[in-house]
Amino acid sequence: MSVSVEKLTNGHHRTLSERMQFLSSGTKYDSCNQSAVCHAFGPDGRCIQLYKTLLTNYCAGECAYCPNRCERDVPRVSLTPEEITKITWSFYRKNAIEGLFLSSGIIGDAEITSQKQLEVVQLLRQQGFTGYIHVRMMPGTPKYILEQIADLANKFGVNAETTSSINYSEICPNFDYKNDVLQRLKWTRDLIREKRREYRGTGHIVGANDTQFVVGAVDEPDRDIIRTVNKFMDKYALRRPYFMSFDPIPDTPLENGSPSPKWREQRLYQASFLLKDYGLMHKDLEDVYNDSGNLMNTDPKLELANMHPERFPVDINSASMDELLLVPGIGPVSANRIIHSRPIGSEEELARMGAVVSRASPFIDLNGVRQTNLASFTGGYS
Amino acid sequence: MIIVFKPTVDGVLLACGSLADHPGSTLMVAKDGRQLKEKLRFSGIEDQIVRVGFDPSTNTSRLLKNVFTNTWTRISPLDPGPLKYIDLVLRHGDADPEDLVRLLWSCNGDVNAMYSKKTRISLRYYNYMREVTRSWQRLCMFSRPSFTNGLLFAEVDSPHEISDIFCRWLARKNPDVPVAVVTDGTAWIGNGEFVGLEHFTTISAAFVENLQGSADDEGIDELWDVYYDSQMIEKRRNRGLAKKMQPLGSSTLSKMARRDRYKVERGISSCTLDGFI
Ligand code: SF4
Repeated sequence: MSVSVEKLTNGHHRTLSERMQFLSSGTKYDSCNQSAVCHAFGPDGRCIQLYKTLLTNYCAGECAYCPNRCERDVPRVSLTPEEITKITWSFYRKNAIEGLFLSSGIIGDAEITSQKQLEVVQLLRQQGFTGYIHVRMMPGTPKYILEQIADLANKFGVNAETTSSINYSEICPNFDYKNDVLQRLKWTRDLIREKRREYRGTGHIVGANDTQFVVGAVDEPDRDIIRTVNKFMDKYALRRPYFMSFDPIPDTPLENGSPSPKWREQRLYQASFLLKDYGLMHKDLEDVYNDSGNLMNTDPKLELANMHPERFPVDINSASMDELLLVPGIGPVSANRIIHSRPIGSEEELARMGAVVSRASPFIDLNGVRQTNLASFTGGYS
Repeated sequence: MIIVFKPTVDGVLLACGSLADHPGSTLMVAKDGRQLKEKLRFSGIEDQIVRVGFDPSTNTSRLLKNVFTNTWTRISPLDPGPLKYIDLVLRHGDADPEDLVRLLWSCNGDVNAMYSKKTRISLRYYNYMREVTRSWQRLCMFSRPSFTNGLLFAEVDSPHEISDIFCRWLARKNPDVPVAVVTDGTAWIGNGEFVGLEHFTTISAAFVENLQGSADDEGIDELWDVYYDSQMIEKRRNRGLAKKMQPLGSSTLSKMARRDRYKVERGISSCTLDGFI
């Protein structure tokens, strides 16, 4: 199962462009955007702002959902640190990217792989690269390498993939959830805190702890995922989770699984924003799941409002921030703007504040008049 | 009385202060003394004139405090502070500095009213601020400078005056090389110390064009195409969203962005790695 470092030279009969294509394609499902400048958008609408690549698609791991798992018979290629830095510089000077996102298959073990990743980052920084660097570390990366990465990269972290040790061992049999993932999330949190103190006021970007979940690879309900996200936010200062929809890959143990519906990822993001931006806790969302504990294909905030008619209507001109935030169609920015611009005289004014009036109107009271629509008229909201 | 002011942040704030002292005055904007003389001669006005904003900068933050009595609260994370707001609006191709002074004056000392979008005029000027910001951000996103003889070079063609802020942004992003951004015969230079100039300055565009040789970044466009195509997830193609995010206007900013936009419209040819994995 183990792959030696020497084997990394294999695949070099392919051109740089071919190897680059293989390895960047291997990261296309990885979400890693920072909130700065996007430079292009793919035909799927996703932002491209970093040069995303694997160092290699050789891998000793046997993760059940992964196209790079060691048992699959696919061409294996790698890029040298010099090649990665060269491509990064070229795209960066062309203003096509903000920096680099670096992941990798496991070469030998987590220590050797993360050392190789460190080499790339060191080389770039030695060459004076000031752009953004995000390194997706291997489960089980030793602490001393994480510490060195923390000195050079803007963001780094380990993927949790799932919500529990049992589920994890089912899909990632080579690693231990508690030790290789959770322990690393804790170290990452501590290192980020330290770096934030160190770089305060210097303009240096220190990203927050981040992690990714593969949605739909194992049979775990959305309730468990959201509960885990909430726990990670409290425990590991996770700012936002990333979700990657499971898509069955031929020649993997999960090849006969069903792909996770596209909307599921979107609804999970919406639910996680309710935790991140609206200050809700996972238990506040209990009512929005179906009997199997999954989100439905509707906006969880709208669902929540419909389940609690006793909270409405909210008086636009006197409601607190928390009350306004419960109204579908009113987000943190528009709620803030409403509070600073009261009294609000009309729906037109409300729309100018950024509220989506058509969504908000069944739930609000504007100047003593409860807004109505067909649903409320027919009793849908009261 | 006529209040004549320079269309700068200082000029606008000073004019606003003068308007508070002399409500009912006529406002007139002039870029410099010569334009002022011409305007007065043309209008034939002989009222008393107050000139503001033509002297070297005063304390701009203090001027802001004279106009607004309360403190600014950020409502949207996209909102810049009030000084930046005024600066951005003044860069807009359609902005009328006299209207802007009247808008600030109508806020009655409440700085947050500039952002409230409560009245039509505050909405219009808020939108101007956002449009300039968006144009500048689009340049930052979709402009693809060339790297020639160690100089990063970009051309800007915009209805708004944003070349200088784009140049500063590019220079901050590439602190190790000189940067030139050219518009209408003028080149904004960032990191000028690398070519014996001030850190940030303007020179004639002709001087920069002399430096142009064969680009050091040949072949990058092809490599970018390979990379761009590799990121596509065919099953998730979302033409509507992609068109919104990579707007048609981006095509005018660089060849690379034009090709990306084309792929957003037409999709990427079926020859991808999806078959392989
Ligand atoms: S460690 Fe697992 S997920 Fe990562 S490349 Fe290897 S098989 Fe794939």
